Amino acid sequence: MDGVPGKFDVVVVGAGPAGSAAAYLLAKAGFKVLILERGRGAGSKELFGGKVYAPPLRDVWPGLDKEAPIHRWVTRERISFVRGSRVATIEYSLGRRVGFTTYLPELAKWMSDKAVEAGAVLVDEVRVDEIVVRDGRIVGVRSGPDTVEADVVVDAEGVNRLLLERLGLVERLNPSYVALGVKEVLNVGKGTIEERFALPKGEGLAWMVAGDVTAGIPGGGFIYTMKDTIAIGLVLHIGKAMEKAEAGQINKHVSRILEEFRLHPYFKQFWKDADVMEYGAHMTIEGGLRMVPKRLYAPGLVIVGDAAGLLLNTGYTVRGVDFAVASGRIAAEAIIEAFNRGGPTEENLRLYEERLKESFVWRELVRHRWIGRGMEDECYFTSMPGVLIRILEKLYEADYEEPTLIDALLESLAEEDISLTKLIMKLGSVVSKL
Amino acid sequence: MSTQASPLDKPLKLEDLLQRNIWDVDEDPHIEIPMDDQEGLRKRALVHLCPAGCYTMIGDKVLFSYEGCFECGLCRVITPEDKIRWEYPKSGKGIQYRFT
Ligand SMILES: Cc1cc2nc3c(=O)[nH]c(=O)nc-3n(C[C@H](O)[C@H](O)[C@H](O)COP(=O)(O)OP(=O)(O)OC[C@H]3O[C@@H](n4cnc5c(N)ncnc54)[C@H](O)[C@@H]3O)c2cc1C
Ligand code: SF4
Repeated sequence: MDGVPGKFDVVVVGAGPAGSAAAYLLAKAGFKVLILERGRGAGSKELFGGKVYAPPLRDVWPGLDKEAPIHRWVTRERISFVRGSRVATIEYSLGRRVGFTTYLPELAKWMSDKAVEAGAVLVDEVRVDEIVVRDGRIVGVRSGPDTVEADVVVDAEGVNRLLLERLGLVERLNPSYVALGVKEVLNVGKGTIEERFALPKGEGLAWMVAGDVTAGIPGGGFIYTMKDTIAIGLVLHIGKAMEKAEAGQINKHVSRILEEFRLHPYFKQFWKDADVMEYGAHMTIEGGLRMVPKRLYAPGLVIVGDAAGLLLNTGYTVRGVDFAVASGRIAAEAIIEAFNRGGPTEENLRLYEERLKESFVWRELVRHRWIGRGMEDECYFTSMPGVLIRILEKLYEADYEEPTLIDALLESLAEEDISLTKLIMKLGSVVSKL
Repeated sequence: MSTQASPLDKPLKLEDLLQRNIWDVDEDPHIEIPMDDQEGLRKRALVHLCPAGCYTMIGDKVLFSYEGCFECGLCRVITPEDKIRWEYPKSGKGIQYRFT
């Protein structure tokens, strides 16, 4: 951090969506803002699925639609249930544009460029090692031997949140609260996406996949169309994967499970002849409110984005980037207000938590709070898709005589070892929680 | 049209997948596990789940190499605190994602 001048109003740790949103708004309001990012430029450590909800981003950057590195606006959503080579798919054609696909390294770079244009100072290749506390209040951050002081630290360090753990503000991550995402980016050649997915020009598709593509680990698959590439990947519950691996129930490497998804007899046709451009992994939050720290602020500190546990994965959509941006915006607004009220005291920074809890982010998380726990239930991931496919198989693949729907259902349940009562209870518990 | 089977029609080996990526490898390891007392390490999970294949078995010991690490954090989460030292690489080193 040589050459970084002494003191800032605000230091932001992490140039991800949450950090850059906060830094942009604060710099625009005239605050002296420093962003510290461990990667080489913003975005170089970023990996996600592929689709971003636009409205919360437009609240921060009204010029988003024209300026951001948007690959495709998603106009088709698909959900597939898979058992072996058998696949059942629902497709929904949207009536308007709410989400777009992109590469997160590109989008994060754009967001941090906006913050810098607004006057924030970005220093990259700096790994923050500690949030510095003095006399019961946070006064800055330390990287190696260097310390930078600030009136407020915005912690936007993402899901691993080493700094918050060290500070004692959160417990060690529980393997059951997090998931591993593994991803491949497939190069399909310029201008072929539309033909491969029967899409209108420039439009995109988001596709979630449930069933045995995860080799029995709770989780699911995803497919997103980028400009000239396709992103495919799996999200796997770490707690369950760990248990299964230790019990000897996983006998192949995760990259092999992903490769088998790439080569799945039904799905592979969509990326025929495509080469793999990049392969990577990143951790994400399983969902629910379980990863949210007891308090989202401390004297001189606010916590935003994944570090604050603010992510919703319903199984049909992932809301991570937009929640991160929204929390960054709310943090910036609260900090501005805190300064107007006399300074970033604990009392004044509480505004951030209050406003976040009044926002759509919190309402969404509360509304879907059961999801985190549901994610651990293998029944939803393997058995339910299995039952559905078995029913369809009996109805469509009969030689001479088709069973009635109810017989097909009962037989399929028996084959998946689920009783009708259990099915009704499971469905009932989902419905009641909705 | 070629009738030859492409290597892409078969599962790519992990080494081949990793070939697609760019790293700027740090001189010092950012993660360390003990070689002597490995009690408490979830070896099978580390070997199968570390997406970069950084953990391999040699006899009954698990061996770690940090070079291809994605910095995902999985190994930290599944390993007892006193059995792993886990940091991000310093000075921008490590994985350099581009299209993810
Ligand atoms: C497999 C997968 C699929 C996903 N799919 C989607 C999706 O389709 N749509 C969606 O909206 N969301 C998705 N998400 C979630 C989304 O990526 C995150 O919610 C979002 O990136 C969180 O933003 P953030 O700014 O809080 O954290 P991050 O994006 O993680 O940014 C944190 C930043 O802080 C830096 N940093 C960390 N520690 C330090 C330190 N000590 N010093 C300096 N810098 C540091 C990091 O390098 C990084 O740049 C997915 C995530 C994964 C893993
Ligand atoms: S951080 Fe992730 S990629 Fe790196 S060694 Fe651990 S599990 Fe493997």
